[in-house]
Amino acid sequence: MSTPPTSDIDLFADEVLLDPYPVYAELREQGPVVHLRKNDVHALTRYDVIRGALADWESFSSTSIAFNPMANEALTGTSLASDPPVHTQLRATLTENLSPRALRGLKGKIETKADALVAELVEKGSFEAIDALARAFPLEVVADLIGFTGHVRDNMLRWGQAAMQVLGPMNQRTAENFPVAGELYAWCSQVEAADLAEGSVGRGIFEAEARGAIPPNTAGHIIHQYLGAGVDTTMAALGNLVALLGSHPEQLDLIRKDPSLVSSAFNEVLRFWPPINAWGRRATKDVEIDGVVIPEGAQVAILLGAGNRDPRHYENPDAFLVERNPIDHLSFGYGPHGCAGQGLARLEAHAVIDALARRVKRLAVGPEVRVPSNITRSIEELPVLEVIPA
Amino acid sequence: MKIVLDRARCEGHGLCEEAAPRLMHLDDDGELVLDREEVDEADAALANAAVRVCPVAALRVA
Repeated sequence: MSTPPTSDIDLFADEVLLDPYPVYAELREQGPVVHLRKNDVHALTRYDVIRGALADWESFSSTSIAFNPMANEALTGTSLASDPPVHTQLRATLTENLSPRALRGLKGKIETKADALVAELVEKGSFEAIDALARAFPLEVVADLIGFTGHVRDNMLRWGQAAMQVLGPMNQRTAENFPVAGELYAWCSQVEAADLAEGSVGRGIFEAEARGAIPPNTAGHIIHQYLGAGVDTTMAALGNLVALLGSHPEQLDLIRKDPSLVSSAFNEVLRFWPPINAWGRRATKDVEIDGVVIPEGAQVAILLGAGNRDPRHYENPDAFLVERNPIDHLSFGYGPHGCAGQGLARLEAHAVIDALARRVKRLAVGPEVRVPSNITRSIEELPVLEVIPA
Repeated sequence: MKIVLDRARCEGHGLCEEAAPRLMHLDDDGELVLDREEVDEADAALANAAVRVCPVAALRVA
């Protein structure tokens, strides 16, 4: 047994956040575990090791999913940052209204909304895809689902972005976003049933709290997690799918010819460009992986995108191929903490891909604009210069 | 070989049904039903595929 190889790569440097894939390839070749001195984290770089760690909550605790102690402290008591057995109950409460089981009735509504939005954009002929589609659609779906109205609806975008930014190391981006994430936290700690639209899932969570189905004072926490974890990531995934289908017209053609590829295509979008770059864990003991040791107490960084491009697991991993159907991609995580909102994300993304494949022959996209962000990797602006309708 | 479902973990994502429709399905309430728990050699690969795709690790083979 020995210590892992080391590297001076800074995971949170602007250029790495904007395009992490060359760095991921370098780290992956160094070994499945690499100690990054600048970040003082042990990075997991290969598919098998990442999936193994996500399943192994006894060795890799979620009490340190963020890369700074303040954010981890603030998340204490949420399902996101807990380990079993406490996690099991919190997770059940969180997913009660969010699991595919709970969302079955929403499918038709979401498909109708996606189709109307895509039809409107096709009609326009050119548009900016991030604001008009990637942000607008999940904001509307989530706002309606949880029952947000008024100023909360207007704040969802910046609150959701800030909630992810503050999970980074204590750099300038994190510091600037703490006050904004704090607004979300403050609102969620005083929100009441009457603030949410009648008949909404949000109202349902308060009703569950009132009848004792979930522990007292948990409704606000749950709403905080819906907003914090579910908004920024879904927007990233939808922006990515428009960009990738626009820049790979032959792949869009494949879906147009065979609509049964919609789900496979979304899996490939997520594999190719995961919305989340790095996610934290803490080693609860000395953990041996392929002959090297991660010391007890070490902060671990799970590099989802590095695992998704591991040639040991996926053939030709740097190609975007909608027929690949990489159903076991790592972008939703895996195991007890596997993304709780993945059912909703699938409903939204499948509806958008399906509408695009039916209504669009080709999307001519201009260069995408990106800004560095600590945790979420997403497109800031994506001009669709011309839509060729189907 | 036996398929074991951890019902508390299952959230009804349904990916196992896509992988192995012969062995399991979601009922009208979105609850997973194992149509065959004892799996013979011929269906072992299917069972393993279903276990592999469960996003919350609610299935295993014993």
